[in-house]
Amino acid sequence: MVGRAWWINVRRILLALLTVVLLLGLLNVFGQRPHSSTSSTPRASLKVYAPLHARSGLAYAARFHITAHDDIKDAFLVLDPGWAEGYTVNGLAPQPLTEASRNGRLAYGFGHIPAGQSLIFFMSLQVNPTNIGRRSQNVELDDGETPILTIHRNVTIFP
Amino acid sequence: MDIVIRAAVAYLFILFLMRVVGRRELSSMEPSDLILLVVIGDLVQNGVTQSDYSVTGIVLAAGTIGMLATLTAWLTYKWSRIRNVVEGEPVILVEDGRLIERNLKNERLTPDELMEQARLQQGVESLDDVKWAVLETSGAISIVKKE
Repeated sequence: MVGRAWWINVRRILLALLTVVLLLGLLNVFGQRPHSSTSSTPRASLKVYAPLHARSGLAYAARFHITAHDDIKDAFLVLDPGWAEGYTVNGLAPQPLTEASRNGRLAYGFGHIPAGQSLIFFMSLQVNPTNIGRRSQNVELDDGETPILTIHRNVTIFP
Repeated sequence: MDIVIRAAVAYLFILFLMRVVGRRELSSMEPSDLILLVVIGDLVQNGVTQSDYSVTGIVLAAGTIGMLATLTAWLTYKWSRIRNVVEGEPVILVEDGRLIERNLKNERLTPDELMEQARLQQGVESLDDVKWAVLETSGAISIVKKE
């Protein structure tokens, strides 16, 4: 009977721990609710809407919203490799005019964005099961080769 | 967070479904009952985990179901009204050798199925030998023989 009483207390503690894990899950600690990251300068503003936490297998679309306050003659979104490494890129919409590598980063060119206009770019991603850990997913908005603004963010992939 | 909510909704829906289909299906396994239970398992898995292959997803989904099962057990233990809602009440099928046809009909049980249980459990030959036959909340039929 003594052993039984001991086990009941252990079971209660374990149940409480499980409750904490589930509450953390409800609080989005393990993903995948999207998060908005924004940055703004007098020339343009950029809003990135994508999860900061995700789990393997999950599919989602990252949204990049560029608003030009001033004319951007040759807009480029320059993404860290963390946006593609360990992901399956299911699609890009709209299709960028150019796709290139800029010093190891992904550079998507969209051409001219007139002042006062917006460009919304979607990137459909699926997390590969081998993609576990924390990666940098910085986003830079350039006009040609000139950086306009940068958003610093990281994504954490849970096993 | 979505997976915890999806698992909770799935648990509540299956609990509701099991109450609606009746308790006969809980104990007996006719072909249609087997189809129901197998298909539910597969469909629920798709809805809860979706494309999630992660161990974290398993912990969250299974943990939610386990937690709700524990919570349900605790609530039904504490409050009899909740127990009646979640588990239902025992249904008397035979009283002093007399069939209660309305209850049999409500539970979709035939007198032959009832007699089969009476023979298997107590070896009774006739309904006259049965004092009580009760459909328990688990779906099992308990038979009490006359002295």
